[in-house]
Amino acid sequence: MFGYLSDLERTFAAMDELRRRVERTVAGNSSSRADAFATDTAWPRTSVFENESGLTLVADVPGLRESDLELTLDQNVLTLGGERKLAVPEGHTVHRQERRGTRFQRQFTLPYKVNADAMSAELKDGVLTVKLPKAPEAQPRKIAVKVG
Amino acid sequence: MQTNGNNSDLQRAAIRPTSAPPVDVYENDDEILVVADMPGARSDSVTVKLEKDELYISSVRDGDTDGQLLAGGRRDCEYRRTFLIPRGVDPNGISAEMSQGVLKVHLPKTADVKPRVIQVKTVN
Repeated sequence: MFGYLSDLERTFAAMDELRRRVERTVAGNSSSRADAFATDTAWPRTSVFENESGLTLVADVPGLRESDLELTLDQNVLTLGGERKLAVPEGHTVHRQERRGTRFQRQFTLPYKVNADAMSAELKDGVLTVKLPKAPEAQPRKIAVKVG
Repeated sequence: MQTNGNNSDLQRAAIRPTSAPPVDVYENDDEILVVADMPGARSDSVTVKLEKDELYISSVRDGDTDGQLLAGGRRDCEYRRTFLIPRGVDPNGISAEMSQGVLKVHLPKTADVKPRVIQVKTVN
């Protein structure tokens, strides 16, 4: 079994080196789209989108369940907190662990008031999607111009 | 749709950037277990392929734009990673499952590399 294990280690060392080389080559090109992956290192990785009806927050939370997540809205600050517990599967030894267990809290200051009652959150394929509809008072209003 | 040959691989790469998912590798007496984070990838987009001694895993995440991007670094991508598999893995027994954006690949060991307990006989 001894030779077997070191085979596996050597395999990873070789593949890692190859990957690092590719990433270095790609990173040298500043217009590369791969840069987007390098800049945002906080966990979970998130994006915020806006359309006419409001904001959408999307967060990558692979392996997490609803009970691991906590979402709170206080005025215009949205807080996403939670914990990712990772355990070594029973009876297994670890060769490599790149996935991390973590306790996290991220806060987002929203650019306008949202309708807290109409907020919704959905967890699918390890992605949390939070819909934050604009509050009625934050909707743009047309003012009629009267002729005096 | 199955792609074959370098040409279509290049075309695919031009559409989406490639991302190397973080991976855990565990081992017990019976198997090697590979676990990869692929959030947003639908299970029907997952490819697990064993070619000679290379295990290739990939999946696609797309279509999660909803309006105009205000902030953040998530984007559509193709998750992709390749491993060299040591000898002693039974290629016919490999199985994979996807749950909550986490891919698990089970690589069972062949009988000749599994640890064996040798019975000690009492001889009088």
